[in-house]
Amino acid sequence: MATATATNIGRVTQVIGSTFDVEFSEENLPEIYNAIKVDKQIKGIHLKVTGEVQQHLGGGRVRCVALGSTDGMVRGMEVEDTGGPVKVPVGKETLGRVFNVLGEPIDDRGPVNATEYWPIHRDPPKLTDLSSKTEVFETGIKVVDLLTPFVRGGKAGLFGGAGLGKTVILQELIARIAREHGGFSVFAGVGERTREGNDLWLEMQEAKIGDTGRSVIEQTCMVFGQMNEPPGARLRVALSGLTMAEWFRDATGSDTLLFIDNIFRFSQAGSEVSALLGRMPSAVGYQPTLGTELGQLQERITSTNKGAITSVQAVYVPADDPTDPAPATAFSHLDAFIYLERKISEKGIYPAIDPLASSSRVLDPQVVGEHHYRVARRVQQILQRYRELQDIIAILGVEELSESDKNVVNRARRIERFLSQPFFVAEAFTGKAGKFTSREETIQSFEEICDGKWDHLPERAFLYVGGVQEAAEQAKKMQD
Amino acid sequence: MAKARALVKRRKAVRNIRKITRTMELIATARFKKAMDRATQAAAYTRKINEIVADLAKANLSFSHPLLQKPAEEKNVTLLVLTSNRGLCGGYNGGILRAARARLRELEAEGKHVTLEVSGKRGQAFFKFEGTPISQAYSQFEDKPGFDEVNAIASRYVGDFLAGRLHRLDVAYQKFQSAARQGPAVETLLPIGDLASGAGETSSGRPIDYEFLPTAQEILDEIVPAAFKARFFKVFLDAAVGEQIARRVAMKAATENADEMIRDISMKYNRARQTQITSELAEIIGGAAALE
Repeated sequence: MATATATNIGRVTQVIGSTFDVEFSEENLPEIYNAIKVDKQIKGIHLKVTGEVQQHLGGGRVRCVALGSTDGMVRGMEVEDTGGPVKVPVGKETLGRVFNVLGEPIDDRGPVNATEYWPIHRDPPKLTDLSSKTEVFETGIKVVDLLTPFVRGGKAGLFGGAGLGKTVILQELIARIAREHGGFSVFAGVGERTREGNDLWLEMQEAKIGDTGRSVIEQTCMVFGQMNEPPGARLRVALSGLTMAEWFRDATGSDTLLFIDNIFRFSQAGSEVSALLGRMPSAVGYQPTLGTELGQLQERITSTNKGAITSVQAVYVPADDPTDPAPATAFSHLDAFIYLERKISEKGIYPAIDPLASSSRVLDPQVVGEHHYRVARRVQQILQRYRELQDIIAILGVEELSESDKNVVNRARRIERFLSQPFFVAEAFTGKAGKFTSREETIQSFEEICDGKWDHLPERAFLYVGGVQEAAEQAKKMQD
Repeated sequence: MAKARALVKRRKAVRNIRKITRTMELIATARFKKAMDRATQAAAYTRKINEIVADLAKANLSFSHPLLQKPAEEKNVTLLVLTSNRGLCGGYNGGILRAARARLRELEAEGKHVTLEVSGKRGQAFFKFEGTPISQAYSQFEDKPGFDEVNAIASRYVGDFLAGRLHRLDVAYQKFQSAARQGPAVETLLPIGDLASGAGETSSGRPIDYEFLPTAQEILDEIVPAAFKARFFKVFLDAAVGEQIARRVAMKAATENADEMIRDISMKYNRARQTQITSELAEIIGGAAALE
């Protein structure tokens, strides 16, 4: 960590939860976002906390948010101004390592010998530097490739309530993309379970990139600020991860992947901090600066003409209500939008992606091609009609429908099941090997189902298969 | 509020549907009663005719009638499908049409020349959708099929059969067994293969010694077509009763489903409303607290 040339020392005057006030001399006030450090032995405990200046209160006092635990902090303690924002190590030395919000390694593998440190607060790329390429990013997951194709160098969001499998889908995407992917990946764990972070770390050590024999972790760096950390850490850890990803984009020019789990926790931490700083809460109790904070983060996650950052973000939807300000704000920043629906997960169909609520900017005939677009729209039409008919079916029964509507219902039920897919990361749970389905096969399969070519197969045959040929095989097996 | 309002709207729609299904249920119950009476009355006549025929059979006469005999070649088959004109009767039409289609496929597979005749708009719509041509369509039979109308059709069949243009007549309809039991059935009415055996009980235990005037054959000529027509008419009556029963059952279930749905939506609505009030309160209190 860089130290200021002339040490500027202040004293703690107040500690409120994870915020604290420090008094400096009037002429030597640290700037907003400057990192300030407490590093002291007190009553046998070594207290080492970094804080970030958030407000100037007047009279030489500044209000700071702690990026670590403030346990043991007392008034009168000496605080040192580092003279700049928090800086994290960047560069190839960070690959294969795990960091906390301050850029300190937490994987017990010794210090990181990085030559470069970048501040976590940076400006977003200039308007003229932005890249305008639009290219589809194939994931091999049928429902994603068909209805919500990802953009290379774009942002995709996974929205869903508690326990619908956001993290599983994210890990699946890491497993699928990072394995095929030649470039670098950065994973930022924001306010989620520590255990999941550990699982992911171990899995990445085992997973191999293609047939090179090198493990995925060698091309990846991970940053964690999980649930146990104070709000300040959870608020800034996304920026730490992003800064590392930015270096890969700007310095190596390679395609970089950035995974964030979970953006909602970032907003939530912001709200906690905001309350501690005494700002007046806005809609549903969120911070009034919700849009600004998220905008500052999201605008930096972009592709420039130097390199691309493709990012996949999980977004928790509190109480399954997508109109909640936090997910609603995140929504507008994304190119592809995947919404996980509880009703679908209750049917036992995973990934529980809602094919009608999810969308993508590139589902456009000019990008994905006329054929893909037409098939995707037909699938949506059938499912939409099925949804409209659902009330009638619930009251009067399927028999009351006209013959063409019965057809729609039958096909919709098959499509619904066919949208499920076995996952690589869920092999241990489902007992089925993961399936990679190419985009061509996906489109062909769905087109044939829409045409009614597979109406004779039982509905169950469509569950957890890759292409439609596999559904036919599964149907045969079920008969035996 | 958007969600709560959408729920109110939906509940209203379901309430309207419930009103309709409930009314349909009551009407079907009333009509069922009437149709049932007619069927029972006709059943008495059919039974009597059958008794006479059975008695005749017991009289050990060697009789023969063209309607009783299987034609040498069985090429032209007519399949008459009896469905309802109106919907909202659950699986009634679906069951009959499934059975009819299965028989149709079977006959076609055997290389027969099948003429399809359909009564009821539902069946007509189904075969139109399937792309199967219908040679005759009737839609005049409601819950009170008149004997004259049915008789006209029956006479045509008898005429065709006797002239050798028709070799077999199959009817797909809802067979009525009791108020609680009925199901789709496909029966062969021409040639009348089992007139004697299927005729039922004789009128009394001991055989009656008939005297035939002018001759047994002439009586037979009269009574065999009459027996066919009675049976044919009964099929229509059965269908009418079956339709009303099916409708009553289906509408009862639909009303119950609608009730359940209304309960469900009401609960959701109350919850949405409560959540909204809570969050508004929390915002006001939070805002007020922050101002202090």
